[in-house]
Amino acid sequence: MIQENVWISTNSLDFAQSMTLLLRFQIQSYIQRTMYSHGTSGEQSNYYSRSRGLRVLLVDDDEINRMVTKKMLEKLGCEVTAVSTGFECLSAFSHAENSFRVVVLDLHMPEIYGFEVATRIRKFRSCNWPLIIALTASTEDNVQKRCVQIGMNAVLQKPVLLQAMAAELQRILHRAKPL
Amino acid sequence: MERNPLRRQLQMMRKSFFDQGYLDDQFVQLEELQDEANPNFVEEVVTLYYRDSSRLILSIEQALERKPFDFNKLDAYMHQFKGSSSSIGAKKVKAESTLFREYCKSGNKEGCMRCFQQLKKEYATLRKKLEAYFQLARQAGPMETACRPK
Repeated sequence: MIQENVWISTNSLDFAQSMTLLLRFQIQSYIQRTMYSHGTSGEQSNYYSRSRGLRVLLVDDDEINRMVTKKMLEKLGCEVTAVSTGFECLSAFSHAENSFRVVVLDLHMPEIYGFEVATRIRKFRSCNWPLIIALTASTEDNVQKRCVQIGMNAVLQKPVLLQAMAAELQRILHRAKPL
Repeated sequence: MERNPLRRQLQMMRKSFFDQGYLDDQFVQLEELQDEANPNFVEEVVTLYYRDSSRLILSIEQALERKPFDFNKLDAYMHQFKGSSSSIGAKKVKAESTLFREYCKSGNKEGCMRCFQQLKKEYATLRKKLEAYFQLARQAGPMETACRPK
Protein backbone atom coordinates (compact mmCIF):
# COMPACT_ATOMS: atom_id res chain seq x y z
CA MET A 1 0.00 0.00 0.00
CA ILE A 2 1.37 3.36 -0.95
CA GLN A 3 0.76 6.09 1.55
CA GLU A 4 0.45 9.63 0.29
CA ASN A 5 1.73 11.44 3.30
CA VAL A 6 4.57 9.37 4.56
CA TRP A 7 6.73 11.24 7.04
CA ILE A 8 10.21 9.96 7.15
CA SER A 9 11.68 11.36 10.28
CA THR A 10 15.26 12.43 9.93
CA ASN A 11 14.77 14.54 12.97
CA SER A 12 17.47 13.65 15.44
CA LEU A 13 15.20 14.83 18.24
CA ASP A 14 12.83 11.93 17.65
CA PHE A 15 15.69 9.50 17.90
CA ALA A 16 16.93 11.14 21.08
CA GLN A 17 13.46 10.98 22.56
CA SER A 18 13.14 7.27 21.83
CA MET A 19 16.55 6.65 23.36
CA THR A 20 15.53 8.61 26.46
CA LEU A 21 12.40 6.53 26.88
CA LEU A 22 14.38 3.35 26.52
CA LEU A 23 16.96 4.43 29.06
CA ARG A 24 14.23 5.57 31.41
CA PHE A 25 12.60 2.13 31.32
CA GLN A 26 15.93 0.48 31.91
CA ILE A 27 16.63 2.64 34.93
CA GLN A 28 13.16 2.03 36.32
CA SER A 29 13.66 -1.70 36.00
CA TYR A 30 16.95 -1.46 37.88
CA ILE A 31 15.19 0.43 40.64
CA GLN A 32 12.60 -2.30 40.87
CA ARG A 33 15.16 -5.06 40.85
CA THR A 34 17.70 -3.61 43.26
CA MET A 35 15.34 -2.00 45.70
CA TYR A 36 12.13 -3.96 45.76
CA SER A 37 13.73 -7.37 45.91
CA HIS A 38 15.74 -6.69 49.02
CA GLY A 39 14.72 -6.33 52.60
CA THR A 40 14.05 -3.01 54.21
CA SER A 41 16.68 -3.11 56.97
CA GLY A 42 15.34 -0.39 59.21
CA GLU A 43 13.69 1.81 56.62
CA GLN A 44 9.92 2.15 56.38
CA SER A 45 8.59 -0.71 54.28
CA ASN A 46 5.90 1.41 52.67
CA TYR A 47 8.49 3.92 51.41
CA TYR A 48 9.13 1.72 48.41
CA SER A 49 5.49 1.30 47.45
CA ARG A 50 4.93 5.07 47.68
CA SER A 51 8.06 5.94 45.75
CA ARG A 52 7.33 6.90 42.16
CA GLY A 53 10.91 6.95 41.08
CA LEU A 54 14.50 7.14 42.10
CA ARG A 55 14.83 9.79 44.79
CA VAL A 56 17.60 12.17 43.89
CA LEU A 57 19.02 15.18 45.68
CA LEU A 58 20.54 17.71 43.31
CA VAL A 59 23.02 20.21 44.69
CA ASP A 60 24.11 23.07 42.42
CA ASP A 61 24.42 26.77 43.15
CA ASP A 62 23.85 27.87 39.56
CA GLU A 63 20.17 28.38 38.84
CA ILE A 64 20.36 27.57 35.14
CA ASN A 65 22.38 24.41 35.65
CA ARG A 66 20.03 23.36 38.42
CA MET A 67 17.01 23.82 36.16
CA VAL A 68 18.55 21.88 33.29
CA THR A 69 19.96 19.01 35.37
CA LYS A 70 16.71 18.67 37.31
CA LYS A 71 14.71 18.38 34.11
CA MET A 72 17.21 15.88 32.79
CA LEU A 73 16.87 13.67 35.86
CA GLU A 74 13.09 13.94 35.82
CA LYS A 75 13.11 12.87 32.18
CA LEU A 76 14.94 9.75 33.33
CA GLY A 77 12.21 9.00 35.86
CA CYS A 78 13.78 10.47 38.97
CA GLU A 79 12.02 12.29 41.75
CA VAL A 80 14.25 15.29 42.23
CA THR A 81 14.77 17.65 45.14
CA ALA A 82 17.02 20.52 44.16
CA VAL A 83 18.99 22.65 46.60
CA SER A 84 21.43 25.42 45.97
CA THR A 85 23.93 25.19 48.80
CA GLY A 86 26.02 22.58 50.53
CA PHE A 87 24.34 23.52 53.79
CA GLU A 88 20.86 22.86 52.44
CA CYS A 89 22.14 19.54 51.15
CA LEU A 90 23.41 18.44 54.55
CA SER A 91 20.27 19.58 56.33
CA ALA A 92 18.19 17.60 53.81
CA PHE A 93 20.08 14.53 55.03
CA SER A 94 19.37 15.16 58.66
CA HIS A 95 15.67 14.62 58.03
CA ALA A 96 14.96 10.94 58.44
CA GLU A 97 12.07 10.86 55.98
CA ASN A 98 14.21 12.12 53.11
CA SER A 99 15.87 8.95 51.95
CA PHE A 100 17.77 9.96 48.88
CA ARG A 101 19.28 7.16 46.84
CA VAL A 102 21.46 9.39 44.74
CA VAL A 103 23.06 12.76 45.27
CA VAL A 104 24.10 14.72 42.19
CA LEU A 105 26.63 17.21 43.41
CA ASP A 106 28.29 20.15 41.70
CA LEU A 107 31.85 20.32 42.93
CA HIS A 108 32.38 24.03 42.51
CA MET A 109 30.13 25.81 44.93
CA PRO A 110 31.05 28.74 47.12
CA GLU A 111 30.85 28.65 50.96
CA ILE A 112 31.21 24.94 51.24
CA TYR A 113 32.85 23.09 48.41
CA GLY A 114 31.47 19.97 46.85
CA PHE A 115 34.28 17.79 48.20
CA GLU A 116 33.50 18.90 51.72
CA VAL A 117 29.82 18.14 51.24
CA ALA A 118 30.54 14.69 49.88
CA THR A 119 32.88 13.91 52.78
CA ARG A 120 30.23 14.88 55.26
CA ILE A 121 27.55 12.84 53.49
CA ARG A 122 29.81 9.80 53.71
CA LYS A 123 30.30 10.49 57.42
CA PHE A 124 26.53 10.69 58.01
CA ARG A 125 25.85 7.55 56.09
CA SER A 126 28.76 5.21 56.10
CA CYS A 127 26.94 2.48 54.22
CA ASN A 128 26.77 2.42 50.42
CA TRP A 129 23.79 4.75 50.05
CA PRO A 130 23.35 7.35 48.85
CA LEU A 131 25.27 7.04 45.65
CA ILE A 132 27.09 10.24 44.76
CA ILE A 133 27.54 11.60 41.27
CA ALA A 134 29.91 14.56 41.04
CA LEU A 135 29.57 17.22 38.36
CA THR A 136 32.65 19.14 37.39
CA ALA A 137 33.80 21.50 34.67
CA SER A 138 37.37 20.47 35.38
CA THR A 139 39.23 18.03 33.16
CA GLU A 140 42.06 17.51 35.63
CA ASP A 141 42.97 13.99 36.66
CA ASN A 142 43.40 14.82 40.31
CA VAL A 143 39.73 15.82 40.53
CA GLN A 144 38.76 12.32 39.43
CA LYS A 145 41.21 10.77 41.92
CA ARG A 146 39.97 12.89 44.77
CA CYS A 147 36.37 11.97 44.01
CA VAL A 148 37.23 8.29 44.22
CA GLN A 149 39.14 8.82 47.49
CA ILE A 150 36.18 10.56 49.12
CA GLY A 151 33.90 7.73 48.06
CA MET A 152 31.96 9.22 45.18
CA ASN A 153 30.51 6.77 42.72
CA ALA A 154 30.77 8.69 39.44
CA VAL A 155 32.15 11.88 37.96
CA LEU A 156 30.49 13.67 35.05
CA GLN A 157 31.95 16.41 32.92
CA LYS A 158 29.93 19.59 32.57
CA PRO A 159 27.95 20.49 30.57
CA VAL A 160 26.15 17.24 31.23
CA LEU A 161 24.49 15.33 28.41
CA LEU A 162 21.31 13.36 28.97
CA GLN A 163 22.85 10.20 27.55
CA ALA A 164 25.87 10.51 29.84
CA MET A 165 23.74 11.02 32.94
CA ALA A 166 21.55 8.07 32.02
CA ALA A 167 24.58 5.84 31.42
CA GLU A 168 26.20 6.75 34.74
CA LEU A 169 22.98 6.28 36.72
CA GLN A 170 22.50 2.88 35.16
CA ARG A 171 26.10 1.90 35.83
CA ILE A 172 26.17 2.88 39.50
CA LEU A 173 22.74 1.44 40.26
CA HIS A 174 23.77 -1.81 38.65
CA ARG A 175 26.96 -2.01 40.71
CA ALA A 176 25.43 -0.79 43.96
CA LYS A 177 25.37 -3.22 46.83
CA PRO A 178 21.91 -4.08 48.16
CA LEU A 179 20.67 -2.41 51.32
CA MET B 1 9.47 18.27 4.64
CA GLU B 2 7.98 21.07 6.69
CA ARG B 3 4.81 22.38 5.04
CA ASN B 4 4.08 25.35 7.21
CA PRO B 5 6.12 28.25 5.81
CA LEU B 6 6.64 29.78 9.23
CA ARG B 7 7.93 26.47 10.53
CA ARG B 8 10.27 26.24 7.55
CA GLN B 9 11.55 29.72 8.29
CA LEU B 10 12.01 28.72 11.91
CA GLN B 11 13.98 25.64 10.94
CA MET B 12 16.23 27.68 8.67
CA MET B 13 16.80 30.25 11.39
CA ARG B 14 17.68 27.50 13.82
CA LYS B 15 20.06 25.88 11.35
CA SER B 16 21.83 29.18 10.79
CA PHE B 17 22.56 29.48 14.50
CA PHE B 18 24.48 26.21 14.35
CA ASP B 19 26.08 26.84 10.97
CA GLN B 20 27.34 30.24 12.04
CA GLY B 21 28.63 28.94 15.35
CA TYR B 22 26.32 30.84 17.69
CA LEU B 23 24.99 27.67 19.28
CA ASP B 24 26.38 24.22 19.92
CA ASP B 25 25.03 20.77 20.84
CA GLN B 26 24.11 21.84 24.33
CA PHE B 27 21.21 23.80 22.83
CA VAL B 28 20.00 20.58 21.23
CA GLN B 29 20.20 19.03 24.68
CA LEU B 30 17.76 21.67 25.96
CA GLU B 31 15.43 20.93 23.06
CA GLU B 32 15.57 17.23 23.98
CA LEU B 33 14.44 18.09 27.48
CA GLN B 34 11.40 20.05 26.27
CA ASP B 35 8.20 18.03 26.43
CA GLU B 36 4.45 18.28 27.11
CA ALA B 37 5.12 18.85 30.80
CA ASN B 38 7.40 21.78 29.96
CA PRO B 39 6.47 22.91 26.45
CA ASN B 40 8.44 26.16 26.72
CA PHE B 41 11.44 24.76 28.50
CA VAL B 42 14.08 26.08 26.09
CA GLU B 43 12.71 29.60 26.15
CA GLU B 44 12.42 29.49 29.95
CA VAL B 45 16.03 28.44 30.38
CA VAL B 46 17.29 31.05 27.93
CA THR B 47 15.22 33.77 29.62
CA LEU B 48 16.58 32.76 32.99
CA TYR B 49 20.10 32.74 31.62
CA TYR B 50 19.83 36.31 30.34
CA ARG B 51 18.31 37.46 33.59
CA ASP B 52 20.91 35.83 35.83
CA SER B 53 23.93 36.49 33.70
CA SER B 54 23.16 40.19 33.29
CA ARG B 55 23.95 40.54 36.99
CA LEU B 56 27.25 38.79 36.48
CA ILE B 57 28.09 41.02 33.54
CA LEU B 58 27.49 44.04 35.74
CA SER B 59 29.70 42.61 38.50
CA ILE B 60 32.47 41.97 36.02
CA GLU B 61 32.12 45.48 34.60
CA GLN B 62 32.44 46.96 38.09
CA ALA B 63 35.39 44.74 38.91
CA LEU B 64 37.17 45.86 35.72
CA GLU B 65 36.93 49.46 36.87
CA ARG B 66 38.32 48.82 40.30
CA LYS B 67 41.92 49.46 41.20
CA PRO B 68 43.91 47.39 41.84
CA PHE B 69 42.71 44.78 39.41
CA ASP B 70 41.57 41.60 41.12
CA PHE B 71 42.24 38.85 38.60
CA ASN B 72 41.10 36.11 40.97
CA LYS B 73 37.74 37.70 41.48
CA LEU B 74 37.32 38.32 37.76
CA ASP B 75 38.24 34.74 37.03
CA ALA B 76 35.71 33.48 39.57
CA TYR B 77 32.93 35.57 38.03
CA MET B 78 33.86 34.41 34.57
CA HIS B 79 33.98 30.77 35.68
CA GLN B 80 30.38 31.08 36.74
CA PHE B 81 29.38 32.98 33.62
CA LYS B 82 31.07 30.42 31.41
CA GLY B 83 29.21 27.63 33.19
CA SER B 84 25.77 29.03 32.53
CA SER B 85 26.64 30.09 28.98
CA SER B 86 27.83 26.60 28.36
CA SER B 87 24.56 25.13 29.64
CA ILE B 88 22.50 26.91 27.02
CA GLY B 89 24.94 26.14 24.23
CA ALA B 90 26.12 29.72 23.70
CA LYS B 91 29.18 28.77 21.69
CA LYS B 92 30.74 32.15 20.86
CA VAL B 93 30.01 33.57 24.29
CA LYS B 94 31.62 30.52 25.85
CA ALA B 95 34.72 30.93 23.66
CA GLU B 96 35.13 34.55 24.76
CA SER B 97 34.72 33.47 28.40
CA THR B 98 37.53 30.94 28.00
CA LEU B 99 39.76 33.58 26.46
CA PHE B 100 38.96 36.00 29.25
CA ARG B 101 39.96 33.43 31.85
CA GLU B 102 43.25 32.88 30.08
CA TYR B 103 43.94 36.61 30.21
CA CYS B 104 43.14 36.56 33.92
CA LYS B 105 45.52 33.69 34.51
CA SER B 106 48.33 35.48 32.68
CA GLY B 107 47.49 38.77 34.41
CA ASN B 108 46.79 40.59 31.16
CA LYS B 109 44.60 43.56 32.00
CA GLU B 110 44.39 44.92 28.44
CA GLY B 111 43.50 41.51 27.14
CA CYS B 112 40.72 41.17 29.71
CA MET B 113 39.20 44.49 28.82
CA ARG B 114 39.32 43.93 25.06
CA CYS B 115 37.97 40.42 25.42
CA PHE B 116 35.14 41.57 27.64
CA GLN B 117 33.99 44.11 25.02
CA GLN B 118 33.88 41.34 22.43
CA LEU B 119 32.08 39.07 24.87
CA LYS B 120 29.36 41.64 25.48
CA LYS B 121 28.88 42.01 21.72
CA GLU B 122 28.44 38.27 21.24
CA TYR B 123 26.16 38.05 24.26
CA ALA B 124 23.90 40.83 22.91
CA THR B 125 23.88 39.43 19.36
CA LEU B 126 22.83 36.00 20.57
CA ARG B 127 20.12 37.49 22.72
CA LYS B 128 18.60 39.32 19.73
CA LYS B 129 18.73 36.22 17.58
CA LEU B 130 17.12 34.01 20.20
CA GLU B 131 14.42 36.55 20.97
CA ALA B 132 13.52 36.67 17.28
CA TYR B 133 13.58 32.88 17.16
CA PHE B 134 11.19 32.41 20.09
CA GLN B 135 8.89 35.10 18.77
CA LEU B 136 8.70 33.33 15.42
CA ALA B 137 8.15 30.01 17.20
CA ARG B 138 5.13 31.46 18.95
CA GLN B 139 3.75 32.75 15.64
CA ALA B 140 4.36 29.45 13.92
CA GLY B 141 2.27 27.67 16.54
CA PRO B 142 2.67 24.24 18.08
CA MET B 143 4.45 21.54 16.11
CA GLU B 144 2.23 19.04 14.31
CA THR B 145 2.95 15.50 15.39
CA ALA B 146 4.47 13.38 12.66
CA CYS B 147 2.26 10.63 11.28
CA ARG B 148 4.32 7.51 11.10
CA PRO B 149 3.30 4.73 8.78
CA LYS B 150 2.03 1.73 10.74
